[in-house]
Amino acid sequence: MAAYETIAFDAAKCTGCGDCMSACAQVKTGSFEHASSRIQILPSANDGFELALCRQCGDPGCVSVCPAAALEKDGTTGVVAWDGTKCVNCLLCTVGCTYAGIAFDARAGHVTKCDLCGGDPACVTACSEGALRHVRSARIYSHYGELEDLFVPGLSGCQGCNTELLIRHVLRAVGPETVVAAPPGCIPGMGTVGYNGKTGTKVPVFHPLLTNTASMLAGVRRTYKRKGRDVTALALAGDGGTADVGFQSLSGAAERGEEILYVCVDNEGYMNTGMQRSGCTPYGAWTSTTPVGERSHGKAQEAKNLPLLMMMHRCAYVATASTAFMEDLYEKLAAAIEAAKHGFAYLHIYSPCTSGWRFPSQANIEVARKAVETGFVALWEYTPASGLRFTRSVDDLRPVDEYLEAVGKYRHLDAAQVAHIQAHLKKDLGLLKELSARGAQADPRALAT
Amino acid sequence: MSALPQARPQHVVCDGNEAAAWGVVLSRPDMVAVYPITPQTSLVEALAQFAADGVLDAEMVAAEGEHSVLSVLQGACLAGARTYTATSGPGLAFMFEPYIRTPGLRLPMVMSLVTRDTLSPQCVWGGHQDAMSVREIGWIQMYCETVQEILDTVIMAFKIAEHRDVMLPVNVCHDGNYLSFGVCRVDLPESSGVDAFLGQPDTNWHVALDPDRPMGVDPLTGGGGGPGPALFARYRKGQCRGMQNALGVIEDVHRGFRARFGRGHAPLIEEYRLDDAEYAIVTIGSMTGAAKDAVDEARRLGQRAGLIKVKTYRPFPLQAMAQAIAKVKAVGVVDRSVSFGWNCGPLHQDVLGTLATLPQRVAAVSFIGGLAGADLTPAHFARALQTTAQALAGAPPLAPVWLNEDDR
Amino acid sequence: MLQARYLLVGSSHAALEALAAIRMHDAEGSVLLATRDAAPPYSPTVLPYVVSGKSDAERVRLRGARYFEEQKVALRCGSALASLDTAARVARFADGEQVEYERLLLATGASPAIPPIAGLKQVPYHVLRTLEDALRLRAALGSARKAVVLGAGLVGMHAAENLVNAGAETTVVEMQPQVLPGYFDAQAASLIAQAFGQRGARMLCGQAVISAAPRGQGFALKLTGGERVEGELLLVATGVRPAIDYLAGSGVAAERGILVDRRMRTSVANVWAAGDVAQAASFYRDAPVVNGILPNAVEQGRVAGMDMAADPGARDFRGAVPINTYHFFGRQALSVGVDAIEGGETHVQCDEAAGRYRKIVLKDDRLSGIFSIDAPFDPGIMVELVLRRVDLGPVKQAFLDEPRQSARRLMSQLWR
Repeated sequence: MAAYETIAFDAAKCTGCGDCMSACAQVKTGSFEHASSRIQILPSANDGFELALCRQCGDPGCVSVCPAAALEKDGTTGVVAWDGTKCVNCLLCTVGCTYAGIAFDARAGHVTKCDLCGGDPACVTACSEGALRHVRSARIYSHYGELEDLFVPGLSGCQGCNTELLIRHVLRAVGPETVVAAPPGCIPGMGTVGYNGKTGTKVPVFHPLLTNTASMLAGVRRTYKRKGRDVTALALAGDGGTADVGFQSLSGAAERGEEILYVCVDNEGYMNTGMQRSGCTPYGAWTSTTPVGERSHGKAQEAKNLPLLMMMHRCAYVATASTAFMEDLYEKLAAAIEAAKHGFAYLHIYSPCTSGWRFPSQANIEVARKAVETGFVALWEYTPASGLRFTRSVDDLRPVDEYLEAVGKYRHLDAAQVAHIQAHLKKDLGLLKELSARGAQADPRALAT
Repeated sequence: MSALPQARPQHVVCDGNEAAAWGVVLSRPDMVAVYPITPQTSLVEALAQFAADGVLDAEMVAAEGEHSVLSVLQGACLAGARTYTATSGPGLAFMFEPYIRTPGLRLPMVMSLVTRDTLSPQCVWGGHQDAMSVREIGWIQMYCETVQEILDTVIMAFKIAEHRDVMLPVNVCHDGNYLSFGVCRVDLPESSGVDAFLGQPDTNWHVALDPDRPMGVDPLTGGGGGPGPALFARYRKGQCRGMQNALGVIEDVHRGFRARFGRGHAPLIEEYRLDDAEYAIVTIGSMTGAAKDAVDEARRLGQRAGLIKVKTYRPFPLQAMAQAIAKVKAVGVVDRSVSFGWNCGPLHQDVLGTLATLPQRVAAVSFIGGLAGADLTPAHFARALQTTAQALAGAPPLAPVWLNEDDR
Repeated sequence: MLQARYLLVGSSHAALEALAAIRMHDAEGSVLLATRDAAPPYSPTVLPYVVSGKSDAERVRLRGARYFEEQKVALRCGSALASLDTAARVARFADGEQVEYERLLLATGASPAIPPIAGLKQVPYHVLRTLEDALRLRAALGSARKAVVLGAGLVGMHAAENLVNAGAETTVVEMQPQVLPGYFDAQAASLIAQAFGQRGARMLCGQAVISAAPRGQGFALKLTGGERVEGELLLVATGVRPAIDYLAGSGVAAERGILVDRRMRTSVANVWAAGDVAQAASFYRDAPVVNGILPNAVEQGRVAGMDMAADPGARDFRGAVPINTYHFFGRQALSVGVDAIEGGETHVQCDEAAGRYRKIVLKDDRLSGIFSIDAPFDPGIMVELVLRRVDLGPVKQAFLDEPRQSARRLMSQLWR
């Protein structure tokens, strides 16, 4: 399972033209019969399109159920390969696959599946809409691996925390011509700024105050620009310093269009100092300052929607991201790095806190994923030119209980509180959807009323 | 640096705020960040106009508040910029968090402090309460007496701050109202001369945010055990040493300024008609002019009155002050602010501290006046001199004398 | 005495899947895998294809020696489990070896069930459960002109097809009134039986063998209907039963198979069971069932392995669902779930001429079962629809009209 390669489908871009299926059938069978294509695009009930295709799973079910050893995952390419000389046509593989990624082709007389065309999938080439993308996760990771890790080894985050992953990958992508601001919180807490005269980072790094990250970076960036040097001003900040006491400087810098790449790692509170509530703590959540007792049952107010507030500043780029969806995060990071060369780029990354949210340390990515799958966290991006765009559909969300039940800080919630959260989520998503529907025409300020 | 317009007048008629702005223009900072606050506002406006006209070639940051003003400048300074700002009263209070941090980072910034009384009572007028409240933070404080001195001191302040034996931020204090809006003729030094006097900006050789010299700036320092607390103590001690070094550097810079531009000001303490004086009043800031008139009048009446003016207040010029006070038998200290805990003026406290270093006993009286923009006239100082003279004979009053208490 | 943190008995799908699951969580804990088979791991399901020659006996091994080396697994082939001392946590093998284990998985599969037919012991006959069986049967295939298959289950039907294709005159005898009982409903079964009949096989359903006797080089059978059938090759494929002879005195509770809970734990601590040997939760009924099909063995092996390794990601077995895929004479038959359920509704489409058939069983707009011949769908998706109890109400008509496309759509929307 060292490698993982697959074809990603962006339903929002698919027009249902069928070129991918024609191309696949042509390459694999010489005909243009869509029935012989290994990729199947299906019209969905709501005018969109759906996909049936081999995912080249990391732990493939079809391989497990094959009695004839005719299927095998190639450890190098990641392709789940079918060996026609071993296949007995028992069709059990079609039981093992829950994606219709391998199916009987009556014309061929045996099961067929996608083999990624040896690394250059014909369907992807044929797709003129950009709805299909050949994704090479292994190569993405090795690409990141080849970039220099600019933090020292041995940062001491809590067990299971995703922030170290996050900041290492961000800084790898941003590169060495960077000045990093890490205001007080978990990120310097794990040693990034260093201790007693020693540094934790191979690029210049500093502790701003909790209150002035964006302002200090503005001074740094402007000074280098004046000197003719392109130095990235990067903030790796928590939600408390961003949404609460640091919001004025953040807002001012965004309004002035300071050229800053501001990454807010949102763990929904002051977790470094022992889990106090912040403006980003969601309704109902237990924290040490919104405790559960006879008279109070967690936080009584909603969280600030910080990314939306930043969008209202009409920043050059605003996006939300999650470590459960790294490729989405990578794309947004690349866009943010670019945008920060000419304006304020704001990346809001959700970071479940194993210590403060009360869930097992191995469940971090799972919790992050559930947050997105239930719509508790929506993944979107904004540019002034194209407006707000969801990067992951918010239709067909899973019930929010699945997320709330995974996180201990919500353990005390009663039915009324859960209903409150559901109603609020619906409202929030409704606003986002409306913004998304209006696209670049949307004036976020007009909609805010 | 791009070329600035060369046709420059040799003198202008302007108020103290504009004079400070001219000092900034001549000092050629890389970045100026400001937020308007009464009575500093016309200084900000002058800078904005200078930048708009191309007279001032600096990055101008109109930040959303004083807190960010100083923060932007800290970032810029750490990246190697020469920086300037100006503020007053509530603005200073709002920037306190980054303000208190600047000396520890050893950032050689210059900030004009257009002094103002602090709230409450609600007040927008002059007084030294804002500046005096931050006297122990670690910024160098110099108080100007005249509009010309403002311009000259702003220029000198950059040289003092950036001196490698100092590396500390400087507040150039000028009184709200009396200096900020008082109009005079001021001479402008030659731009090339100022360039030569100041040299290139030298702000971050010791600590930098520079990808070419990566380092962790201000990591956590201290804590129980390990090298932390000792390192912290060394940093603090170094900061104290920089402050003490500043006394000599301030004198040198003033001497150099006089030599180059043919005009000068007392660097630490000015003694006025003191050598044969029996008693003296101690003043600070713009009040000194009226006080000198009162001393002249007392002399005319045959009294042996003198005056000691404080220019450099932090670091406190203990030696110079002791030398001055040693010449008299009684002093009356006129403060434009209050030390609430000591029930006297803050400068008075420093004088009391100085007295402790002298072998002889010198009587001392605390006067408080000029609060909230109140005028301190020669008549007020005549009363102060009289009270101080009385202290020679009998016991000086223990409580402060409030000079404007009965003004109408 | 050998020692192992994990002792896995069996080498087919359940054991191999358990091994993979254990190694996902515990990369170092010692594993010993013991199997009664002399040959390296293979699947009983592939044996009919070894018989037909479609599979090369040398190429059916599910894992190579290198895999076991990489996974740090000690492999003992040809070593059948003889008895268990669960108090001492010691397993004794027929070859005299003893293994002290910390955690034990019983994945010993099943053995052919030989019906009590008078005279059968005097007659040479074949069974098909091991690779040796398959090779023996394959050798006999070429020379037999007349063949009889007892039992019309999957093994029997596959063998019958092989015999027909080899040119033998073939008779299939099945006690139940239809072929493939328990796999397909009567209507589908009759279509399948027809296909065999068209190719010259005799399908005798609803008949049992009363007695058997040698006759020349071959045998003669007497059937309940009075008919006598002769032949040279006899295959007994009347089903299998869990291989649990070694359980005597072990304290491990068993009925038809070894009783397990939803984590595949047996009644005795530190002992798990999975696959054809296990009697586990059913998706449809309260009583546990032996569901001897390959996908079931994989699923149970996975659940057992994760639980054995104390993987916090371990989940409960969701319950057995009957699933079968059957390829005959170039045609395909599929079945998922149950063909009848109380309070359910049944929708059948049948094109006798084309031999196409589809049956969908719904209850409360949830899928209970789906069956087809030459009307393809994706069984892997259908079984998820069953297990997740997906509400088909909003798409019911589309599902009934085009189950394959509708299910794929639902998958694409729901599985994310």
